[in-house]
Parts: sequence; structure tokens; C-alpha cells
Amino acid sequence: MKTQKFKRPLAWASLIGVLTVTTLTAQVRNLTEDEAFFYEEVDESADVYDPFESVNRFTFVFNDFVFSNTVQPLVDVYTAITPDPVEEGASNFFHNLRYPVRLASNLLQCRFKGAWVETGRFAINSTFGIVGILTPADDYEGFAPIKSEDVGQVFGAWGIGEGPYLVLPFLGPSNLRDLAGFFGDRALNPLKEPFSAVDDWKWERQLALSGTGYIARSPQITKRYKQLKGSSIDPYSSLRNSYAQYRRGAVAE
Amino acid sequence: MESFSYKTFLVLGLLFWSSASAQDAEKDKLQGMIDATLDVIYSETHASLSANEKQAEVREKLESSYDLDVMIRYAIGKNWRRMNTIEQLEVLELVKKLVLKAYVIGLEGKDRPSVTLAELTKIGKARIEIESTMVLDDKTYCILYRLRQMESGWQIYDIVAENVSVSSNYRGQIDDHFRKGSAADLIARLKGLLAKDEINEDTKI
Repeated sequence: MKTQKFKRPLAWASLIGVLTVTTLTAQVRNLTEDEAFFYEEVDESADVYDPFESVNRFTFVFNDFVFSNTVQPLVDVYTAITPDPVEEGASNFFHNLRYPVRLASNLLQCRFKGAWVETGRFAINSTFGIVGILTPADDYEGFAPIKSEDVGQVFGAWGIGEGPYLVLPFLGPSNLRDLAGFFGDRALNPLKEPFSAVDDWKWERQLALSGTGYIARSPQITKRYKQLKGSSIDPYSSLRNSYAQYRRGAVAE
Repeated sequence: MESFSYKTFLVLGLLFWSSASAQDAEKDKLQGMIDATLDVIYSETHASLSANEKQAEVREKLESSYDLDVMIRYAIGKNWRRMNTIEQLEVLELVKKLVLKAYVIGLEGKDRPSVTLAELTKIGKARIEIESTMVLDDKTYCILYRLRQMESGWQIYDIVAENVSVSSNYRGQIDDHFRKGSAADLIARLKGLLAKDEINEDTKI
């Protein structure tokens, strides 16, 4: 009897002890689950092969200097003297001119619907849209804007790896695959060498056309670039990561 | 047997219904938060607020629905352990302010975007993704919200805009920073970025 009396409190204490330990263990496990989540690896799309990082960083700083001291002032003047509709019209015009690149890139990926939409948009915008300055195709059913395709994406769709990350002087972020794609885009562009459709295409005129096209596209790009720099702990790393994720997404779509 | 089948179907039906309504509730909560923050940025009643006041107000709206610490902690990842407690809290606060500043200033000066939430997708046991489309200045952007069931409820841990994950982007930057720099350098850099009035102001790289 005496032993039983002694045993009861011990049993209760053991039970309470076990319950307490179980509760605490459960709490610790929950906390660990949340903590483990914070420490888990993010999507592998964040990994970028960057063996030339030191050279790339140097080029990035160089580009930033050129951009801040040459491109930005030109873009500031351009946006100051050009009304928004004119800016938009110029951007549309140059986008329309790159139709052959988008068409070929869609066809090379067997995206026949995309090729059809691009062709329809080009036909409508080049005629009713006054050589592509306006985009009346936006209002036609089935011809709403689609994501632009380029040769770099074609290579990606064919399974070619992206290779090392590169920062190209004056051109910005790229990788080996997209650099090859850049030359492919040029080859498909009827206004650019080496297969220009225009006879007696003097380099001064080509440069003027390319320069105007670059400036026309720049207001949006400069704004985004400045926002990226202003909100980044490491702008080089941020741009590299954004570029890689964006291009991987474009290839996967 | 008949009674068993009936009860099974009833239970399954109830489970399905409760799961579907819980999912709808998450979508409604997210939509409500997005609308509330856009109201702060675009509505006439908030037009007189300064940039800092707007950011504070947006923060209040966000924090009334979600715990922002979750997204920032996820972005910091294992680097959290490289900081002491004071540094952890300071970095958490500074990154939060920076993200909010980028969000508010990035949208200001434009027409109010229209945001439509699409399907909710269950990713594993405790994760969901809610797709959305945002129409801003006649352009359509795809934005994906990633949520995880935490002890404190469903929390946003990542936002993916046009295939670019915000958490992954900041994780990459912070990883790169800690390869050479310290927590003190990180705090100094964050303070420097926040000291600028405008996010568009030219920043030294």
C-alpha cells in the first residue's frame, strides 16, 4: 500500500514529464520546420555559371560609366524634346523592323501560331499602322502582342546550354549562347550586315539607324536599369541573376 | 456498406468544399491586400502624402495581411547565421524598407495597374502559387505569388515577376555580398541606398 502511494505521484510526474517533453519537442519541430524553410536552397535558376566574374565586373563598371555619361544624357534630351506618343511611335517602328528575326525564331522552334501572329501583326501594323509607327493589330482578335522570340531562345529550345555568363562592352549582360544568338539575329535582320538586303548600305547610315533604334528603345531600359541599381545591394549580381532567370523563363515558355 | 459509402462521400465532399473555400479565402485575402496597397499609391485621398508616408502606409496595409519578415528571411537564407541578433534585426528592417521603397516608387507616376488573380495551384503539402496578370501602361505582366503555410498562417515568401524571382534575386546578391563583405558592410550599403530620396537617383555601383 505504501509502495502504491509512492508509485502514484511518480506515475503522474512521469506522465506530465512525458507530455511536457512531447509538447516541447513538437514546438521545437515546428520551429525547426519554419527555420529549415528559411535556410533551404532557392530555385536552381538562381545559379549562374560565371567563371569570368572579375572581367565581367570590370566590364559592368565600364558599361555603367559609358551609360551614365553618354547614353543617359542622350536619352534625357531625347525624352525631354520628344512627346510620349512620338517616343512610343519610334519604339514601335523599330520593333516592327525586327519582324524577320521574330518570324524565323518562331519557325525554327516550330511555333507556327507565333509565326502566324507575328506575320499578321507585321502586315496590319505596316499598312494601317503607317510603317509600324502605330499598332492597330492590338485591336484585332487573334493578333494581340506576343512575347518576342530571338535566335538565342531558339538555341535554348534546341537544348544548347547557355555557357558562361558574359558582360559585353556596350551591350550589357549575355552568355555564350545568347552571344551566338546575337549574331544570328543580325544575320536574319535585312537591314544589318552581313546579309543586308539594302544595296550600297554605307556604314554611316547603318550606324545612324542602329543608334536611333538604340535611343528609341532606351527610355524604358534606362529607367529599369536605374531602378535596379537603386534597389540592389550588389547591382552586378542582381543584373546577372535577373538576366539568367528572365532568359531561362523565355526559353522555357 | 451503403451507409459507409454515403458517409465517405459526405466526408470527402465536406473536405473538398472546405479546401476549395480555404483556397478562395487565400485568393480574396491576396486580392484585398493588392487593392489596398494600390489605393494608397493611387487614390486621391492619399495624394497629399509624401513618399515616406506612402511607404509607411503601404507597409501597414501589407503587414495587416502578411508577415513581411517571411519573405525577407527567405531571401537572406543561410546568411542569417552570419549575423548577430542586432545585425539580423537591422538587416531585416532595412531590406524590408528597401523593397517597399522600390515597390512604391516603381509604380508611382504611372496609371493605376489592374491586377487580376488567376488560378491557385497547390505545390506540395504546405505551398501554393497564385498566378496573376498586371496590366500597366498597356502592357501585360505575369506575376506569381508564392505562399507557404507557416506557424502564423499562409505567408508570401516569394514574388516572381516576368520569370524573375525577387527572393532568388536578393538571395543571390546577399550570398555574393557575404563572400567578401561583412554584416556591417551590408548594413552600411542598405543605409546608403535608403538615404537617397529617389530610387531612380543615380547610384554608385
